[in-house]
Amino acid sequence: MDPEEPFQQPLVPVSGSANGFYQLSVTIECAHLKHSGSIWKPNPYVELLVDNSNPRKTEVLKCTYIPKWKEEFTVLVTPYSTLHYRLLDHSTFRKDNVFGEKRVSMYDVLLPFNGRCNNLELTLDLVSEPKVDSQGQPAGQPVKVGELITLLHGLKVDMNALIHHRRHELPRAPSNPAAAAVAVADGNPPPPPPPVGATPSASVLRGGVRARIRPGGGGGGTVAELPAPTTVPPAANGSSAGAGPPPVTNGSAGPEVAAATNGNSAAPAAANGLEDPLPSGWEMRYDEYGRRYYVDHNTRSTSWERPQALPVGWEMRRDPRGRIYYVDHNTRTTTWQRPNSERLQHYQQWQGERAHVMQQGNQRFLYPHQQANAAAAAAAAAAVAGAASTSGGGATAPAAVADTTSGASLPPAVGVTAPAGSGATAEDEDALLGPLPSGWEKRVQPEGRVYFVNHKNRTTQWEDPRTQGQERAELLTGVDEPPLPPGWEIRLTEDGVRYFGVYGVPRAYERSFRWKLSQFRYLCQSNVLPSHIKITVSRQTLFEDSYHQIMRLPAYELRRRLYIIFRGEEGLDYGGVSREWFFLLSHEVLNPMYCLFEYANKNNYSLQINPASYALYHGRFIYSGFTMPFYKRMLNKKLTMKDIESIDPEFYNSLVWIRDNNIDECGLELFFSVDFGNFGQVIHHELREGGDKVRVAEDNKDDYLRLMTEWRMTRGIEEQTKAFLDGFNEVVPLEWLKYFDERELELMLCGMQEIDVDDWQRNTIYRHYTRNSKQVLWFWQFVRQTDSEKRARLLQFVTGTCRVPVGGFAELMGSNGPQRFCIEKVGKETWLPRSHTCFNRLDLPPYKSYDQMVEKLNYAIEETEGFGQE
Amino acid sequence: MTASRRLQKELIDIRASGMKSFRDIQVDESNVLSWQGLIVPDNPPFNKGAFRIEITFPAEYPFKPPRINFKTKIYHPNIDEKGQVCLPIISAENWKPATKTDQVIQALVALVNDPEPEHPLRAELAEEYLKDRKKFVKNAEDFTKKHSEKRPSD
Repeated sequence: MDPEEPFQQPLVPVSGSANGFYQLSVTIECAHLKHSGSIWKPNPYVELLVDNSNPRKTEVLKCTYIPKWKEEFTVLVTPYSTLHYRLLDHSTFRKDNVFGEKRVSMYDVLLPFNGRCNNLELTLDLVSEPKVDSQGQPAGQPVKVGELITLLHGLKVDMNALIHHRRHELPRAPSNPAAAAVAVADGNPPPPPPPVGATPSASVLRGGVRARIRPGGGGGGTVAELPAPTTVPPAANGSSAGAGPPPVTNGSAGPEVAAATNGNSAAPAAANGLEDPLPSGWEMRYDEYGRRYYVDHNTRSTSWERPQALPVGWEMRRDPRGRIYYVDHNTRTTTWQRPNSERLQHYQQWQGERAHVMQQGNQRFLYPHQQANAAAAAAAAAAVAGAASTSGGGATAPAAVADTTSGASLPPAVGVTAPAGSGATAEDEDALLGPLPSGWEKRVQPEGRVYFVNHKNRTTQWEDPRTQGQERAELLTGVDEPPLPPGWEIRLTEDGVRYFGVYGVPRAYERSFRWKLSQFRYLCQSNVLPSHIKITVSRQTLFEDSYHQIMRLPAYELRRRLYIIFRGEEGLDYGGVSREWFFLLSHEVLNPMYCLFEYANKNNYSLQINPASYALYHGRFIYSGFTMPFYKRMLNKKLTMKDIESIDPEFYNSLVWIRDNNIDECGLELFFSVDFGNFGQVIHHELREGGDKVRVAEDNKDDYLRLMTEWRMTRGIEEQTKAFLDGFNEVVPLEWLKYFDERELELMLCGMQEIDVDDWQRNTIYRHYTRNSKQVLWFWQFVRQTDSEKRARLLQFVTGTCRVPVGGFAELMGSNGPQRFCIEKVGKETWLPRSHTCFNRLDLPPYKSYDQMVEKLNYAIEETEGFGQE
Repeated sequence: MTASRRLQKELIDIRASGMKSFRDIQVDESNVLSWQGLIVPDNPPFNKGAFRIEITFPAEYPFKPPRINFKTKIYHPNIDEKGQVCLPIISAENWKPATKTDQVIQALVALVNDPEPEHPLRAELAEEYLKDRKKFVKNAEDFTKKHSEKRPSD
């Protein structure tokens, strides 16, 4: 690409460095552990800490001395960071044991490699620290317990700049940071090294780190240029002398200080009296209330946040239409959003989720696919011209299509390329079972799960045809209907439509979700258009490729069967590729650099449309769900004050207080207007004309509450919501959704996940009950015995969503941060259970028998519309 | 705007009332959403010094509560090393839009004067407070002398 010409699609994620932080990709590959002598093999996993914070964990592998994870994490490091690898042995019953650990100083790694980490393989000696005896002295020597192999990638630091900077002590402020982004390194002093002695435990077994540049990796030609020493000097631990960085005396920007800004980005820079000059084109002003804000004349936007100089390797440019965008030369990508540390942090977190995304995609399901070979259908897409409000961004939108017919628990489609080396155990298995039947092929997903392709009838499945035989194949081809699971029967509705029921379950309930779903799918199917639409995307530019191709199509075309091709991956889309595509795309739109969505409240897995967004879309299964009130909007239901609770409980409580109390004597000083913060801007809104001058009082507060409720629900997203619904309606008439309530809509869009009940139970707390109370035992008995749908709906009833956070129940979020699932004893046996979704709390009355509890729970879960929830 | 109008009034009222235990109130004229001031406790062992706090109000105040942060280090079971304090009156569950900042400050001063070891942020200090009060008072006094600010003379 001509370096002078702006990129055509400046919507690509970015990475780089801010405030001396750099992105580094760390892959935990595998380990070889020494046999401990115990009869139990360890259940190893690795925890990676950067500068003793922000732990990242791999999956726990069961019973092995040779664990292979191949998990990649993106972390933010400084050239003086310490990477701390801890290999732990997971135990179900007690605290996880540290098997061995190793600390690696980035500086010592960067020095011999001239500041570059590309495909750099480190082999670390894992060391078990001796126990400390009663005198505080270590009892014995540290022991090597194994080796861990890890790969560092994607980091480039200008070592000369670091050393240069240290010589001059005082940072030079760049005069024109936007134009001279590369020079910004000098304006962002890298943090000083950690104080000597900060890592005392690392002093005994020094060294123990071997490094080599892995040949033939993605680094391409650049690898050859590097000096390639085969070992890091034995000074691999931060506290060593020789090669260590010179001490810094001023200590003005230690890692702690820099890290603190991440958690509290609004901290006024003025507090320490040291402000960098503003970047060119920026100006500081005061608003009518005397608050300080910043005007960016480059983009004609304003911000409360003091602008930071651009990170190293970034540059600001203007496209032919005069719009400002930012180029990240580190990754050769562009974005409309001015990078700042908070956004880079979010980006890092978003990227970190990726590994889990596909895994989850394959774990979600609704029902065994009754029509797996059905002709496929289309569902919704939506797009919007967004208001080019804050960032001067363009106005275009992605759209997407849904294939709602088949279930989602199928293995990936035929096109997914398998990684090399699927492990020795699988090969042993092959030897035992003999060759696959003709027309079959065995493949491996990127995360290592094996699946099977039947080329004869173009299907995929998890089960091995050699052990499962023809039964399963028939099921998938739909030649014969599979037998009903035990306890199920076929029933007929009044108009003769067939549906499925469970013995003993009242028809009113059974008719609900499964029946509605089949009706909906029937509508979709009967409106399918013939032939395919082909969409070719590359994994690197999934979002733009998909967006450009879909936006060219008229809406009705999206009712054709989708055929997705990942560029460079030969293969046929028998349904699995498009499923993968939906899931990836729905995660891709959450890329914080696009700013399309904002997270509702602090709840970390529920979304609402970002007021600054352009678009929305709907998927087969989408990665993340929307808020309950948004589903209600889709169903055209009236929103009430109660709906605010799930998106902003604090706000809701205040509304309730105003409603329930006489406000005339308490000096609220409220008027018919409201403020809120959005991207550092405070947006002021009059609830009615001249509202700034109308005081809220007892006699007009009902009016005020109604206006506030409406405003809080829509707050700047009215246009986008309408555009979304219009777009959706063009593909799937909203009329078709009328069978569902908002909860069912969530289940349909997001699918259900198999819920790990052990994890759930382990991470549940009790109030006025103990873990051994009768009712508590009954509750878990019920959870274990009931089917997956009911389980998901019970979870939805209590937490407001059927989704489990990526990290399991331990990371369940409430309205004020982490909030574990809680069961509280409340009320009498005649009461129904109630839930408080903002606290993930279930009020469970002390029922007299198991059957009574089951009856009440079932009733509460199914009939929650209008009551039962607080 | 909504928050500023209310806060301007609260500030005037607080300054007029002349609170003894909260002094030296500083509000950056450019940003009325951030206040600083000195907590001046009456009870030992904290009556040997004064403690600077910052009160931060959200744009949606009074629909959302303010947050309080200690700028001065303090040896106290309910205030952690980062200066965070757990004050029920401004918790999400208890917050009412009618709660005034002077009530919040009074609650804070009461908490500083009489620690509540039942709801500690620093469990080790709560334990010391309950099991060995003498030692706690001594430690807290030493700590206060070393780290706290000078009490206003008047």
